[in-house]
Parts: sequence; structure tokens; C-alpha cells
Amino acid sequence: MAPPARYCVPGERLCSTEEATAGSGTYTRHGFIFSSLAGCLERKNEDNELPVVSVVRDSESQLLPNVGAVVTCKVCSINSRFAKVHILYVGSTPLKSTFRGTIRREDIRATEKDKVEVYKSFRPSDIVLAKVISLGDAQSNYLLSTAENELGVVVARSEAGVQMVPISWCEMQCPRTHTKEFRKVARVQPQFLQT
Amino acid sequence: MAGLELVSDAGFRADGRRPDELRKVRARLGVLARADGSAYLEQGNTKVLAAVYGPHEVRGSRSKAPPDRALLCCRCSSAPFAGGGERRRRPPQGGGDRRSGERALLLRGVLEGAVLGQLYPRSQIDVHVQVLQADGGELGASVSAAGLALQDAGVALRGPVVAGSAGLAEPPAGPPVALSDLSAAEEAAGGPRLVVATVAGSGQLALCQLSARLHQERLRPVLDAAQAACRGLHAVLDGVVRASDPLGDTRTLPWPQ
Repeated sequence: MAPPARYCVPGERLCSTEEATAGSGTYTRHGFIFSSLAGCLERKNEDNELPVVSVVRDSESQLLPNVGAVVTCKVCSINSRFAKVHILYVGSTPLKSTFRGTIRREDIRATEKDKVEVYKSFRPSDIVLAKVISLGDAQSNYLLSTAENELGVVVARSEAGVQMVPISWCEMQCPRTHTKEFRKVARVQPQFLQT
Repeated sequence: MAGLELVSDAGFRADGRRPDELRKVRARLGVLARADGSAYLEQGNTKVLAAVYGPHEVRGSRSKAPPDRALLCCRCSSAPFAGGGERRRRPPQGGGDRRSGERALLLRGVLEGAVLGQLYPRSQIDVHVQVLQADGGELGASVSAAGLALQDAGVALRGPVVAGSAGLAEPPAGPPVALSDLSAAEEAAGGPRLVVATVAGSGQLALCQLSARLHQERLRPVLDAAQAACRGLHAVLDGVVRASDPLGDTRTLPWPQ
């Protein structure tokens, strides 16, 4: 059985910054590393650098979307200028409470930004992969962007209510009625394709 | 003067404690399943429940949220059956009155110094504290319970937050005696009451509130008594937090007797 891990409380001094670098759940002050969470101490040894000291709790506290993170969101309403979304997952971690985000018209595509029509890129209740570009200011929510090949719509339902199949980067087809609908489709990563 | 009732000739207080003795402390983490973090604290007969929700998205007005740190919303309330130490003409109004508002402001000041808000920009952390039974020291117990609930929620803190109170008894025969951890009867006696809160067991104060008058020369012993109350409480609460480790040996937490 593994030796019991050391349990530390916030404010407990762990070690000095010369012996290790601060990881998550810790902060540094006056050349020492202190714990900022009540959890188990973890020490990871890196080959050429100092070991990383972090404090881990078994139940992760709420993760916040930060700039540059790829998030999974659901479109709740669209407009001619932007699409409003609810952010559901950050990376692969589900969020306990949804955050609101906005995808502006000029952030939907990387090329031909002025010819984009939001109605032909997203529809309400689509599941979209997007990247956070800004935390937003006093007036706006999180700003997201789908201006990359791997970002865009992953799951969408057609007007008949059936899940559609992507056929190109800008079209999806309903398997039942065979009608094509316009979406900004995300390119599926090779590792997720079933062969 | 109220010195006669506060400390007897043999050196005991009205409830049988010595001047530097704290009331019995019981605490438990994780009492509310739906909250992100919660704590229940008893100091003597004062019972306080704290719940923390967050960090989540800022609700309401986004313009009030600072762009680089978390927004802390604190709310203190008193249950209608809480009593209140001194006789009140009106029962506690459940959080909308001035006393609760002042307490919430003080609590927010303490927690803003303790929470590492830079890790949660553009988010909101709600702290709700409810006094279930008031028998003196409600502000201190509210601060300590909020600190425990924040630790239970996994919010990054500089250190544990504890608060303690102290007063002064001036018996007619003998030097003035500083009393730690005032009960309701001692607070109602009308002497000075000093409430201090510390973070991380360092010597720095996050809160220092004095009511009634205190002579400058008497400040040092009363301040020392209050800080000693904080240290004593911290020793007990530290044990409670460590005992709540889910991977520790004590899998089932017995309710402290």
C-alpha cells in the first residue's frame, strides 16, 4: 500500500523555492512555497529541472475558462452580428455551472471575414468547439473564436430533428431527408475517426 | 463598573472560565451537499453555518466585477430563532438590516485579503453565513466559519482565516484583566470589545474592530488576548481541516462529542 500522502492546509509552508518550483494549489512568498488549498501534497520529479510541488484536492474546484483554452459550447441564440453560446466543457472537464460566451461574426472564419453569414455558420442548439480569445470586459461575456480548421460545429441537428453528417467544411447533410445545410464545420481530428 | 460580575475574586468568569480560556469549539466541514463548500462552527453556544458557492460566472451586473480578480459577494444573516444575546425589540430580520450589512462588509474585507483572487478573474464567489444561535462573538464566528467553508470549497487561500474577540474587566480590587472570547453576557456588560481576525497564523491582522471605549494603555493586553484567542481557535480548526481529509485513516467522521 502506498505511504499516506501528506495532507496540507492553506498557509502551510512546504519548502523553499530553491528546492522545487510551485505548481497548482500553491503560491510563493519571500522565497518559500506555501500551500493555498487543503489537499494532498504531490511532488513530481522532472528530469532536468527542479521537481514541481502541487497540492491536489480529490474534487476539483470549478475550473474557469482561460484565454487560449478550447471549450465546448452550445449555441443558444444567433443574430446577424454574433452568436451567443453557453460554455459547457473546458477541454474535457465539465463545468458545474455554465458560462456565457459570444462568437462575433468576424471571429467565425479566418478567411473572407466580411462575407460570413452567421445563419449559415451556426444554428441554435448546435454543439461547437471554440477557443477563448478574451475574458471579456465590463459589457461583454467571454469572447470565443472558431477561426481555425479544427474549430466549429461538431454536432448539429437538421430541420427534421436528425443528427447531420458533415460533408465538407461548410456543409452538413441530413441522413434521412438528404437535404444539405450550411454550417461552419470543424475538421475531425484523425485520432477520432473510426475506421 | 462591570468588573464585579465579569471576574470573581478567585479569578473565574461568570461561566466558570479563566480569563484566557476559550469556549468549547466544535466544527465540521462539508455539511451542505449542494454547496461547493460549507462549514458549521460552534463556539460555546454560538452556532454559525457558512456556505460558499463558486467560483462561477458573474451574475447580475458585470460592470461591478474587477477585471483581474474574483468578485466576492458576502451575505450575513441571522435566523429568526437565533436569539441575540441582548433583548431585542424586533426579531432578527434575516439579512436585510444594518447590522447584517455591516457584518457582511467586514467579512468581505477580511476575505478579500485572504483569497487569491487573481486566479479567478471575471468570476464571482458567493459566501453566505447564517447565525443559528447567537451567544456572543457572532462576527468572529462568522469570519472563522467562512474561512473553513472556503477551504472546503477548494478556493485558493493565502492561509486559514480565524477571528477572536477580547474584552477588559476592571475589578475594583486588582489590576484590569483582559478576557478572551466574550460570551453574550460579557458583551452586554458594556465594556470594550475588540474583534480581530488573522490570516495564515501570521502576526498580521485582517480585521480589527473595537466597540466602546478603551484606554490607550489597556490596548496592548486586550490585543494580545484577542490574538491569543485567534491562535487557540486556529489550533483547533487546523485539526478539523486535517481530519476531514477524505484519504485519511478516519474514513467515518464521528461528530465531535
